[in-house]
Amino acid sequence: MQPILSIGLQESTQSLIENLLASEAFTRYGQAGVCLNQDSEARTLLERLNHSQANLRQKQASGGMNQAEVDSLRLLQQRAQRNPIIMEYVQSQTEAISLLREIDGEISGLLGINFASFANHSTC
Amino acid sequence: MNDLVYDNIEIAPVEVVKCAARDFASALAESPQFKTFEQAADRFRQDETAQHAMQAYQEKQQSLRALLMLNALNEEQRVELEGLHRAFINQPVVRKYFQAQTDLARLCQQLGDMLSECVGLNYAAACGVSCCG
Repeated sequence: MQPILSIGLQESTQSLIENLLASEAFTRYGQAGVCLNQDSEARTLLERLNHSQANLRQKQASGGMNQAEVDSLRLLQQRAQRNPIIMEYVQSQTEAISLLREIDGEISGLLGINFASFANHSTC
Repeated sequence: MNDLVYDNIEIAPVEVVKCAARDFASALAESPQFKTFEQAADRFRQDETAQHAMQAYQEKQQSLRALLMLNALNEEQRVELEGLHRAFINQPVVRKYFQAQTDLARLCQQLGDMLSECVGLNYAAACGVSCCG
C-alpha cells in the first residue's frame, strides 16, 4: 500500500512539477518531443538506432559482435547526427536532465539525504 | 523557431524552480516518515553497542574482502561473518533504523514516480542513480 501524502506534500509536489514543466529546459524538451512524434522518418531512425545500440551492447557483453554490425551502427549514428529533429530532441533532453540533477541537489542538500537514491526502485 | 514559440509561453526561471524544490523538500522534511528516519538515524549513531556491532562486522568483511570476491570463504569464516552480520542487524536500534529507511524510501519512491510520470523522464535514472543505488 502506498503512503498517504499530506496536503502540504501533495501541493508542493504539484507545484514542483508545474514549475519544472514551465522551465525553459522542459518546455524545449516537450516541444522537441512533439516535433519528433510528428516526424515519422526521425522517429523510425531513432528507434532503429536505439534498437541497434541495445543489440550491440548485448553482443558486446557476450563477445559475439562483428564489424558489419559496428559499421551499421556508425552509419545510423551519423544519420541521426545529421537529423535536426533528433539532435534537438537529444540536446533538449540533456538540458532537462541537467536541470533535474540541479533540482535533486537542492532537495538532497536540504534534507541531508540523497533524494534520488531513496526515490529509486532498487531492482538488484 | 523556438524563440517565437517561447514568446507565447510563460517560462519559469531556474531560481523559481529551485524555490519550488526547496518548498518540496521542506514539506517532505515534515512528513512522519522523514522525522522517524531522522530520529532512528540519531539513535543508531548514539547507540554504542550497535556501533560496535557494525564496526565488528565491517572489519571482518573488510579482512575477508578478497575471499568474498572470489566466493572462497571456508565454513568457519562464513559462519563467523554471518554471526557478526546477524548480531549487527538484530540490534533493536538497527532494526528500527532499517525499517524507518524502508518507510522513507517508499514515500520517496511514490514522489519520484509522480515526478517521473509528469515530466516524462525517470527521475532517479536521470539523476544518475543505477539499480544498485
